[in-house]
Amino acid sequence: MISHNDSMHILIADDDEDDRTFFSEAMMELKMNNKLTLFNDGKDLMDYLSCPDIVMPHILFLDLNMPYMSGFECLKEIRADDRFKDVSIAIYSTSSSEKDIEDTFVEGANIYIKKPNDFSNLKKVIKEVVNINWQFHSSGLNKETFFFSI
Amino acid sequence: MKLLKLYKSPEIFKIALIIAIVVVGYIASVFYGQMKNLDSSVELITNSTKTQLELEKILSIITMYESNLRGYYITKDEAYLKDRFLRRGEIDENIKKIKILVANNPSLIEDVDLLNTLVDRRFNLFRETLLMAKSNKADTATFNAKIKQSSEFTMAMKDFVYKTINTEGAKIKAHNLNHQFDLRDSIISAFLLVLLSLLILLLSFNKINVDVIELKKTNDELQFLYLSFNKAEKIAGFGHWKVNTVTGVYTFSDNFYRLFGVEPNAFEPTFDNVAKFIHPDDLDYVIKSHKGSLISHDSTVITYRIILDNGETRYIDSVGSFTQNSKGEVVKTGVSHDLTEVYKKTLKLEENNFELKSINEELESFNNIVSHDLQEPLRKIQMFISRIVDTNNETISEQGKIYLSKIRISANKMQSLLIDLVDYSRAIKGDKEVKQIINLNDVVNQVLEDLSSNIEEEKAVITAGVLPEINGVSFQIEQLLVNLIVNALKYSKDDIPPEISINREDIGPDEVFEGKLILDHDYYKIVIKDNGIGFKQEYAEKIFVLFQRLETDSKYSGTGVGLAICKKIVDSHKGYIKAQSEPNIGTTFSIFLPKVV
Repeated sequence: MISHNDSMHILIADDDEDDRTFFSEAMMELKMNNKLTLFNDGKDLMDYLSCPDIVMPHILFLDLNMPYMSGFECLKEIRADDRFKDVSIAIYSTSSSEKDIEDTFVEGANIYIKKPNDFSNLKKVIKEVVNINWQFHSSGLNKETFFFSI
Repeated sequence: MKLLKLYKSPEIFKIALIIAIVVVGYIASVFYGQMKNLDSSVELITNSTKTQLELEKILSIITMYESNLRGYYITKDEAYLKDRFLRRGEIDENIKKIKILVANNPSLIEDVDLLNTLVDRRFNLFRETLLMAKSNKADTATFNAKIKQSSEFTMAMKDFVYKTINTEGAKIKAHNLNHQFDLRDSIISAFLLVLLSLLILLLSFNKINVDVIELKKTNDELQFLYLSFNKAEKIAGFGHWKVNTVTGVYTFSDNFYRLFGVEPNAFEPTFDNVAKFIHPDDLDYVIKSHKGSLISHDSTVITYRIILDNGETRYIDSVGSFTQNSKGEVVKTGVSHDLTEVYKKTLKLEENNFELKSINEELESFNNIVSHDLQEPLRKIQMFISRIVDTNNETISEQGKIYLSKIRISANKMQSLLIDLVDYSRAIKGDKEVKQIINLNDVVNQVLEDLSSNIEEEKAVITAGVLPEINGVSFQIEQLLVNLIVNALKYSKDDIPPEISINREDIGPDEVFEGKLILDHDYYKIVIKDNGIGFKQEYAEKIFVLFQRLETDSKYSGTGVGLAICKKIVDSHKGYIKAQSEPNIGTTFSIFLPKVV
């Protein structure tokens, strides 16, 4: 059971440096006291996750279109590993194609976020997603609630 | 009618022939009987004539003896007694002859026996008279009495003989008469029967004649049919062949030879001769299929290559099936067709298809670029603008703020254009999507929910009537309605809130789209009506063309793609869309979608 305290561990894997910067700046401006770890691509992320003594993350923001190892591949590997069954995965992508939404839903992602094109919207998204009652969200998950809309 | 039918049937021949044979046979047998009768009656007449002759001979001998006796008595001349007087021998000879002649007639035999005793008695009387005459003892009166007695006896004998002769003569006469009647009857009936047979034969002959004429006609037609068939085969590039599974004899049509680039009958019609032309790679397969079918009697469809004498390769499609001929033998009949041109065209088509596919794939990847890769930098621009506005708001000049806002508007416009383009390309591909039964009311409700914030913002009133179920691609129909409603909201008048109605209407008898009559039986008509700014009717078709916009005022933020998407979607659903509009009154979009069969 993950409680909504200030010491949540949040990961983000995105190959776009600007997006990573936007994300951490948004977190900073929200004055969230959470621990944020950034990864440049999927492979980076998986290397980190394979370490046995890591602090288990609560939420993983996962970009889909990444070199070396795509977000989709990461999603599959993580969901195949029982160690990460309590990690909430938020897909964080420019794409909003039906196919991507459908595929990631089937593979066990918890929420799908289309990257906003306004910084204030980004802050709103992060705030809402971090504060989601994941257990409640996941139990009533369907394709409509899966796609996050502001 | 029935008679005519019978006359036409070939059975009539056999019947006529049988009747004629029976009649002729009957006539022959009747004549044979008559001839036999005639023969026997002639014999009978001869017999009785001979009998009469013999009888008369006897009488004449007795008469001669009597007159001799009288002569002697008067003259006492011994010469009268000479010449073997009173000898029975001659008469016995005669009686013997008569007995042979009458052997078949019992009543006459009795008469002859009686005659014999009469003759005996007469001779006794002769002797007594002769003795009396020789002795001269008797007086004249006694002798005369004796003579008289003899003479009377002779008369009686004569009477008896003539009676016998007459009876016999009358019998023969009656017999002869009967026989004549019979003969006349049989001649008449024979004549009639001959006439009848002749009639039958004439009819049969006529029938044969008619049949021959018809046969010739049919034959001519058959000949013509054969010629035209040959010609048709030549034109169509077909050839046919037959093989009798019992005799193993092959028959090829003229054009079958031409398929192999040779003149008709250029080689013996055998399988081996055809096999020489078949491409070595295909030969095993052809032999296996064909020879196998001759045992199993299953139809065959074989496509194989042949190599002509000039080295050219042709593609032959051969179809064969089995039937029975008039002898009950199983015959495989087949049609072979030169497929080369079709095959080449198909190859070309496949090639084109492949090219089209790869072009399509390229377009798809281009689409991905538009939908993802172009949006990525655009989103960054928007993000950075929002960062500048947020963080540096105080330091930017008023002019700078205006410029930034214009950059933002342009970027937003570009983003919606990109999204529209992606939607448009998805609409183009729409006919490949799987269609399903959709309730339009459900779709409208979903769309109104999705657009609720826009609707609220515009204070629009949207009403929907009862809509039908259609066969369609769900997300596309949704997109269609979204675009039309968004359009109606966008081009609304400033002063009055938009009123939009979505209804089903009956199709009138004169509903026409591009010259084609649209029937209520085949289509649903969905009408979306607004009270917006409208446009001149002359632009009603232009609005559906990609990137065509009627309003250039910046307050109407269109891309010129929305209605083009609508048209594509309706097209891919095999429907029609048209607009009816009047400036400042409003616009009515009519969508015709095929009814669910």
